[in-house]
Amino acid sequence: MSDPLLSFDRVAITLGGREILSPASLTVARGEFVCVIGPSGCGKTTLLRAAAGFVAPSAGVVSRGGQAVRGPSREVAFVFQDYGRALLPWRTVAANVSLALEAAQVPAGKRPERIAQVLQTVGLSAHAGKFPAQLSGGMQQRVQIARCLAQQPQLMMMDEPFGALDAMTRESLQDELARLVRDEGLTVMFVTHDLEEAIYLGDRVVALRANPTRDKPSLAALIDVDIPRPRSQLETREHPEFLRLRRELYGFLGHH
Amino acid sequence: MDFWGTTDMPALLHLRPFAFPAVLLAALEWWARTAGANSDALAPPTLAAQAFARALRDGSLLSATAFTLGSAAIGLALASVLALGLGTMLGLSRRAASASFLSVEVLRPIPSVALIPLAMLVYGFGLRMEISVISFACFWPMLVLTQAAVQQVEPRLLEVSMALQLGSWARFVKLVLPAIVPRLFIALRLGVAIALVVAVTVEIAANPNGMGYALMIAQQSLDPALMLAWLFWIGLVGWCTNALALRLQSAVARRMGDLA
Amino acid sequence: MSNKLRALTESCLVLLALLALWWLASHSQWVSKVFLPTPEATAASLAEGLQQGDLWAYTGATLGRMLLGWGLACALGILLGALIGISPAARAWLEPTLEFVRPLPASAIMPLAISVFGLSGNMVLAVVAFGAMWPVLLATVHGFAHVHQRLKEVANALQMGRLAFVFKIGLPNALPDILSGMRLAMTVALIVSVVGEMIASQSGLGQAILLAARAFRASELFAGIVLLGVMGFASNAALALAERHFLKYQRS
Repeated sequence: MSDPLLSFDRVAITLGGREILSPASLTVARGEFVCVIGPSGCGKTTLLRAAAGFVAPSAGVVSRGGQAVRGPSREVAFVFQDYGRALLPWRTVAANVSLALEAAQVPAGKRPERIAQVLQTVGLSAHAGKFPAQLSGGMQQRVQIARCLAQQPQLMMMDEPFGALDAMTRESLQDELARLVRDEGLTVMFVTHDLEEAIYLGDRVVALRANPTRDKPSLAALIDVDIPRPRSQLETREHPEFLRLRRELYGFLGHH
Repeated sequence: MDFWGTTDMPALLHLRPFAFPAVLLAALEWWARTAGANSDALAPPTLAAQAFARALRDGSLLSATAFTLGSAAIGLALASVLALGLGTMLGLSRRAASASFLSVEVLRPIPSVALIPLAMLVYGFGLRMEISVISFACFWPMLVLTQAAVQQVEPRLLEVSMALQLGSWARFVKLVLPAIVPRLFIALRLGVAIALVVAVTVEIAANPNGMGYALMIAQQSLDPALMLAWLFWIGLVGWCTNALALRLQSAVARRMGDLA
Repeated sequence: MSNKLRALTESCLVLLALLALWWLASHSQWVSKVFLPTPEATAASLAEGLQQGDLWAYTGATLGRMLLGWGLACALGILLGALIGISPAARAWLEPTLEFVRPLPASAIMPLAISVFGLSGNMVLAVVAFGAMWPVLLATVHGFAHVHQRLKEVANALQMGRLAFVFKIGLPNALPDILSGMRLAMTVALIVSVVGEMIASQSGLGQAILLAARAFRASELFAGIVLLGVMGFASNAALALAERHFLKYQRS
């Protein structure tokens, strides 16, 4: 494959004396949607954070666009699971999105246009003047996604973004995300504990193991999802390939 | 890596809280013995320590402290009992709560110090005057907190009590009271702080008894060493009583499975 | 009758009942008139004092002292609190000392202030400012110190500069704490102003009620207490309104 956008070269991460991630190698190509699954404590969030530059690997190198990652960068947008805490409660929806533009020192005159554009993409144009406390969970998460889009990132890291939402909201946001990613041509790494969500959304699924040992390293499986796009909640979930992958990956989530 | 370029050793870490005060005291000592040698306001901490020791020996320290703590305790106890009683009633009955709302809001903002002259008028000087002002000051916040605590008893628990057909006394004793105990101790801790502050304030303003009065007398006799000793002692007593009240509050919260 | 209206009427009735109790107690001499003036006498003293102007003057003096001291206290408290709050190192070294001073009664500084300023208006102002500063300072330190990890990570991810972080995230995040500290500071300012006037014989409501008590003029005493109560109520209500305005984003 031509220049991967993101690559992990034998990356291991130790935190608090414990090896969370044993050496793993993995590449993500431009425009790919990679989902990471695994049981609690397997290091999937840590892997994401390493890609975003929040955590330094204890071994190996994380590279982005061919260069080693040294810290956070505006090229990488990070969507947190606890959206309530990731938004500024004292700013309106528009002002929250604006934060990304202010940090990138986009001139004040250009900001309203970009904000309006991004809000329209996530469908929140009508709520631009509201405060986060006035929005539902799903809407708050969309504000966070909007803010990330405003960064015009190369990569979007998403840490169980829909985990705190109810099933219906989750499904509609999944489809919105898929459409958005396709339209904007984004490269995404998406962590989830929901196996079906991972298969539904991903081009590839990375399965991680908890408590890695020498003969059972962190990286358990790297599987391509050969299901055609665009996908739909009802039909894709009954697709034979979907069911096959589900069966194959079921064991990796810690069910035995 | 901290300022000293070394990693903290556990023993040194224990001393860190005292570093800044030590620097201040050292500076004060130096200044008071040189440029401020004739000051009526400040004295070297070493002399203040000596004055403290003297006051301790001749019993004045203990008797004044006992008076202040005693009046604070009695005032607080009085206020607590009244606040617990009234607060529970208002918390249990929404109608009583809304009916009393205006009266409470009219009386509550009166600063307790405004009652010092009234208390002086009625009781003259002494214990009763101080207790009455302290009680007034502590009563209102504790009333509000107790009422809120009762109102916020988990409605689910009350439904359980109805399902179990508990009588209202049984419901109060077995359900409401244990549920509000952690919050009551939070109110108590606040009350302790207020009681002590008001006690000292009353003594400074009017009452010729207790630590506040001793502080004023020291200043009036142009004895800055003794004044600083009292200032420090008042601070220490305040800090200790608050720390104890906090310990008590935390212990109760842990024991009672803090649902607050 | 709607529920709210009924609740309001009942509330007024209870208040009137208390007023009636006062009237009864003072007229039937349950409590001597020396200690408990009749409501009418209190109202008369209040009206007279306001008309003649001296009660206005006293109120103005106390109010002025209170507000000036409070204003100074807030400015200093927020500035110092912010500087200390954003620096974990400063907090580590200073917080134990701050916690020790927290329970200290503001009035306890008065003898020291008298030695420095004498029995003057400046003395009272200094103690008001000092006393009122602590709640604001401590609250500001707390507000700046407790920025949720997530917000720090967001700022990090967006590569916000340090100054931008302090003003765009640190300060708004600390605002609820700062506002509540400012409210507490106002009650302290009122109390210390009154005590200061009593001790230093400075013109104001504090001195007025002390003199009234000494001269056994109960109705004037009560009139002064009423005014102080109104001051307490009004200042707190004003700040509560301001707080609601600045924190309106919290309402869902």
